[in-house]
Amino acid sequence: CFVQTTGLVGLAVAENPHERLRILYTKILAVLQNIPKDAAYRKYTEQIVNQRFNLVQTETDVQKLQDKLNGGQIEEVIVQAENELSLARKMLQWKPWEPLVEEPPTDQWRWPI
Amino acid sequence: TVRPKNEIEQKQLCAFGEYVAEILPKYIQQVQVTCFNELELLIHPDGIIPVLTFLRDHTNAQFKSLADLTAVDVPSRQYRFEIVYNLLSLRFNSRIRVKTYTDELTPIDSAVSVHKAANWYEREVWDMYGVFFANHPDLRRILTDYGFEGHPFRKDFPLSGYVEV
Repeated sequence: CFVQTTGLVGLAVAENPHERLRILYTKILAVLQNIPKDAAYRKYTEQIVNQRFNLVQTETDVQKLQDKLNGGQIEEVIVQAENELSLARKMLQWKPWEPLVEEPPTDQWRWPI
Repeated sequence: TVRPKNEIEQKQLCAFGEYVAEILPKYIQQVQVTCFNELELLIHPDGIIPVLTFLRDHTNAQFKSLADLTAVDVPSRQYRFEIVYNLLSLRFNSRIRVKTYTDELTPIDSAVSVHKAANWYEREVWDMYGVFFANHPDLRRILTDYGFEGHPFRKDFPLSGYVEV
């Protein structure tokens, strides 16, 4: 049966969510290929994305997919995937897997002084 | 009476802290969990925007809500101001604290591009402590009077001020 509304303000019902999620996850994996293989971000994000990708491909019913993904409504999962994609693109520029930029001065973080 | 220790939550927070420290070693200098089960990330000031964007957008860490942005003045340190960001994740019902440091003259990147809520909080920190935020859309005084000189929350500002009222 057709769901009339997501129940959330500003989020429209997504028609064909499987297709949208498939596109987003392939794009994220493509961006992650450019990160060095030993970076922890690449490892963990690939794990999450592959897990969700497999669930999306095996489960065709939207309701059951929502329950299995355990991430709120399917439209929220789509928004989260878009966020992850933009984050991956920004991580490519920032390169946070490099070693520490600068050590803090001694006593900077000592508490109580 | 003593508050009962919640070991499970402490372990979970420790694990998550190690997870984030493994992903962002470039900016995170230290991670600590307080005895009240509060996770704190201590950051180099260059890494504010990367760390806040990561915490907002990553699937395992959806800290979408900026609960508070303050500063702490510790005059004996070289970098006297400690900027504190409190974040809340609605998806996972958990909180995290991100701390950075700066002195009176070094600007800090504004968090407005990551969280719109930071706008007035940063104006307040500028007004009360004198910490300048680069790329802030509208940094001006918010709580002090129009011709007020000085930054009231600094430790060297006297309690009843310099001007007689």
